[in-house]
Amino acid sequence: MQRFFFNKRLIIVLVTLIIGFVLVALSITVRNNRSTPPIIQQFGNDAAGLVDRVVSYPVSAVGNVGSSVGNLLNTYQENQKLKKQVDSLASEKVSNQAIKKENIALKKQLKLNKTLTDYNSVTAYVLARTPSSWQNQLIISKGSLAGVKKNEAVLSDKGLIGRVTEVNKTNSKIELISTENDSANRFATTILTSDGSVNGLITSYNSNTNRLIMGQIDSQKTMKKGDRVITSGMGGNSPQGIYVGTVTKIEKDDYGLASKVEIKPAADLTNLNIVTVAERTN
Amino acid sequence: MRISKIRYYYPIGLFVAFFLDGSLSEKFAGSFFTNTMSIESRLFLLWIVMGVFFAKVEHPYFWAFTIGLMFDLFYTGVIGPFFMLIPLILYLTKMMYSFFTPSFIVVLLIYLIDIALLTLLFYWINVLIGFTSLSLTNFISGTLGPTLAYNLAAFVILYLPIKSLMEGSSR
Repeated sequence: MQRFFFNKRLIIVLVTLIIGFVLVALSITVRNNRSTPPIIQQFGNDAAGLVDRVVSYPVSAVGNVGSSVGNLLNTYQENQKLKKQVDSLASEKVSNQAIKKENIALKKQLKLNKTLTDYNSVTAYVLARTPSSWQNQLIISKGSLAGVKKNEAVLSDKGLIGRVTEVNKTNSKIELISTENDSANRFATTILTSDGSVNGLITSYNSNTNRLIMGQIDSQKTMKKGDRVITSGMGGNSPQGIYVGTVTKIEKDDYGLASKVEIKPAADLTNLNIVTVAERTN
Repeated sequence: MRISKIRYYYPIGLFVAFFLDGSLSEKFAGSFFTNTMSIESRLFLLWIVMGVFFAKVEHPYFWAFTIGLMFDLFYTGVIGPFFMLIPLILYLTKMMYSFFTPSFIVVLLIYLIDIALLTLLFYWINVLIGFTSLSLTNFISGTLGPTLAYNLAAFVILYLPIKSLMEGSSR
């Protein structure tokens, strides 16, 4: 009798292990090629997202009080600093408007209706962050009903933060650019140098120094520290011209052939409340 | 037969703890996930472990499977790891419970063993599927240590409230 129970327990454990590993393998393989998660999974996630809103509201209310007090203490210094910037901003804004108008007129003349820089934006707030060191994921409050699609670029008010990996009806998951996931889709980026532009890919992320690594660089133009990096719009997922960050270091890659560039991300990946999903229009 | 209130309180508390993990990680991401360390909040595991000692739960394994599956679906999108690990942790906790009488220190030590084991196994699975390439040394100093410290603090703060709630509603 004892023997029988031992076997039964062992079988349960083994079956659970096998089912578990099959599920892991399955979800890893379909993660990058499916268009949306299955209906049942979507339903579960939507229900969970709904409850999460109720729970996260008081937490964010308390958090907001804390940050408001913090902001209040810095207000005076910040005000002085900002006053200096405001004057120059007004003139920049006016010239920007003029250039935008000119751009639209020129596009009309060329009969260019849609270019790489055009995108529709969907604004969402962040519901939760995966409580895990290995998945750098956020859950945001908009899904396929609002027009979010898989693989679209996501930005904060400062710059690029990540990519949509899973879309449910009313919420979706974002993989941050700080991910170390081997199979994550990479962003095509351009370094704006003084004598042109250099194309490449974001290939990895160094979590110790908080730097993005850009590789696969196509030319040897003179890049220098402080050059700005934007998305290039190549590869079809992200629109062109989303600010990624600034160059901090340029060196040869591990084989000494091409350059490897370290980029300081513009967006603060640990302080995100409102994010924008950029949907390419062409 | 009178139905005890824990029947309703247990799942509600479990899900509140579960969603608090995500919300706290988002709100305090600046201090939870820095360059040198990261903290994994596991409040829902605290609820499950406390439930083993102080509550008469009807189907603990059902809730363990459910919450594990929810974690995989809602937070990570990779189905499997927590679905396997949470029932395993529950089983181990029940085994250890049979050797001890529950007191603050005993529950604390068992909870710490559970957290350490869960974090280690979850790290191992993520190395297998290529989500991280962190070395074991860096993992121990960067994730395991801070995670244990945070969950220890959460335990010390929440032990008495959860205990009195569970014992009160189990009668």
